[in-house]
Amino acid sequence: MSPNDLSLPAPRRDLRLPFGAALAAAACLAPLFLGSYSLHAIIIALIFLLPAHGLNLLVGYTGLLSLAQAAFFGIGAYTSGLMAVHFGTPFYLNFLAAGLLAGAIALPLGIPALRLRATSFVMCTLGFVIIGQAIAKNWIGLTRGDMGLSGIPKPYFALGPASFTISGTTSFYYLVLVIAVIGTLAAYLIVRSAAGRNMVAIRENETLAESVGIPTWRYKLVVFMISAAFAGLGGSIYAHYLTVVSPLTFQMYYSTTMLIIVLGGGAGTISGVVFGSLLFVGLSEALRVAPEVRMIAYGLCLLALVFWFPKGFAPLIDRFWSFLRERK
Amino acid sequence: MVSAIFEQIVNGIVSGSVYAIVAVGMTMIFGVLRAINFAHGEYYMLGTFGAWFAIEYFDLPYPVAIVIGVIATAVIAVVVGQFVMQRIVGAPPETGVLATLGIALVLQNTVILVFGGGYKFFSGGYIEPVSIFGFTLAEQRVLIIIVCILVFIGLELMVTYSRMGKAMRAVSQNIECCAVVGIDVPQVALRTFILGACLAALSGVLTAPVNVSVYGGMGEIITFKTLPVIIMGGLGNVRGTFFAAMILGIAESLVATYVGLQFRDTVGFATLMLVLMWRPHGLFSAQARF
Repeated sequence: MSPNDLSLPAPRRDLRLPFGAALAAAACLAPLFLGSYSLHAIIIALIFLLPAHGLNLLVGYTGLLSLAQAAFFGIGAYTSGLMAVHFGTPFYLNFLAAGLLAGAIALPLGIPALRLRATSFVMCTLGFVIIGQAIAKNWIGLTRGDMGLSGIPKPYFALGPASFTISGTTSFYYLVLVIAVIGTLAAYLIVRSAAGRNMVAIRENETLAESVGIPTWRYKLVVFMISAAFAGLGGSIYAHYLTVVSPLTFQMYYSTTMLIIVLGGGAGTISGVVFGSLLFVGLSEALRVAPEVRMIAYGLCLLALVFWFPKGFAPLIDRFWSFLRERK
Repeated sequence: MVSAIFEQIVNGIVSGSVYAIVAVGMTMIFGVLRAINFAHGEYYMLGTFGAWFAIEYFDLPYPVAIVIGVIATAVIAVVVGQFVMQRIVGAPPETGVLATLGIALVLQNTVILVFGGGYKFFSGGYIEPVSIFGFTLAEQRVLIIIVCILVFIGLELMVTYSRMGKAMRAVSQNIECCAVVGIDVPQVALRTFILGACLAALSGVLTAPVNVSVYGGMGEIITFKTLPVIIMGGLGNVRGTFFAAMILGIAESLVATYVGLQFRDTVGFATLMLVLMWRPHGLFSAQARF
């Protein structure tokens, strides 16, 4: 090499596009390589992705720590299950109705709850889960109480005369994949919009946000409803996947799981939540970890996240992205 | 009819006493750490399991089992306090919520993992009925009420007169000033936390003979019932907690009898929300302190 050769090393190509394409291909071809149990694990992870996106809008972007996600998840599951069992409506109707109803119920619950701050808000949202479970147990005429709803049909679509049912694990995987991609896109669009920036402003400094003219109260209420709608949609698929709903759908367990996904993956990032749900739900489901061990692991994760890794895996993902983009 | 209502009220006072002993620990911990301890019910569970273990495996008499249950919980509380609770001092509220939720998950599921998730029979305690003022009551229930009264008299004296109590009150008012005048804030926080956990354990051991069954998930429901009590009592308010616990206990007992047993566990959270909406600083505090 001559001393006056000053040319820089050849720029490396931007690898983000190829990586994205590889990821998409992997997602589409997964059923070819994975056994039905691993596929099941991914389906569960993708189902939890929707409520986690909702929670992320609330916790990560608006800065409201909520434990109510399980309540709306349960409402969605019951709505979907009841409609399918009693009226035999096609899946997309149940799915939309679950989301809409969960979102609508969040309005009267959110108005009083959002007046509260910090810890009081957390306790109030926890109360929604407890009371939801009590209603599911005791409104026997509607929910059949502790027996739960069983025999919820697998998702079936009816468009005019044509109708088909999604019964196999593989076809269910594609259904959930499509829904998860749309959900992720929706969350991304919300976050990237002006509204998303206002949400971040509220998270960073609510008083300042109010003073520059952001209607903080209305924002918080709408985000609470959107996050509930996401949870309701997730609950709907969950009901159709397991074909059973019981009052135990209203359980702190689900709220904790969604919280772990969001905080562990990286609150306030979309990619982190996707990663988090695959890691914390998909992986633990795939490894068939006993529920107690999983809960202990979640507990230790929470402690580690709070004290040592407040951003979860987000910094790691960021570094990976910038590594892919790097042009040196 | 009147005597039936009276009996329910007495039952309510007994469960109110149980809640009061647990809740007073939680409210004191809140006063010092400014954090709701979502793991508080787990110390109740740990105390019960410690006593159950002592009785079942070593055949020890109940009074010794009480001491063992409380000491076992204290040991665990020292570890948790050192590694987790001390870090919460002065941290944002979310930190406290998430850290204590994590502790709750770890403690509860470790116990389930070690001892299994099933119900266990708690043999021990004084279940002989005694007759007071014309109606009968198990001795254990009388014991619970007496212990509750003693605990509250003791705490009232401690908070008012002892050095530790004064330090606790000082920390609950202003952490920075405490540091300036030389109060060891993390030490006060640790001691308050251990005291609170021990009280919860004591309450658990005393209640076990009445509830008879012991299981790993029993702490969660206690946490859920303690939250409305401390909010109603006014966070950090020891005396208010006592009255709030009695109100909740009696209300639950009346609802269970006259409305339906299945609604008993919702009373707490329904009151919690009403109080949060209507008087967020509690029924017994003149103004919000936190």
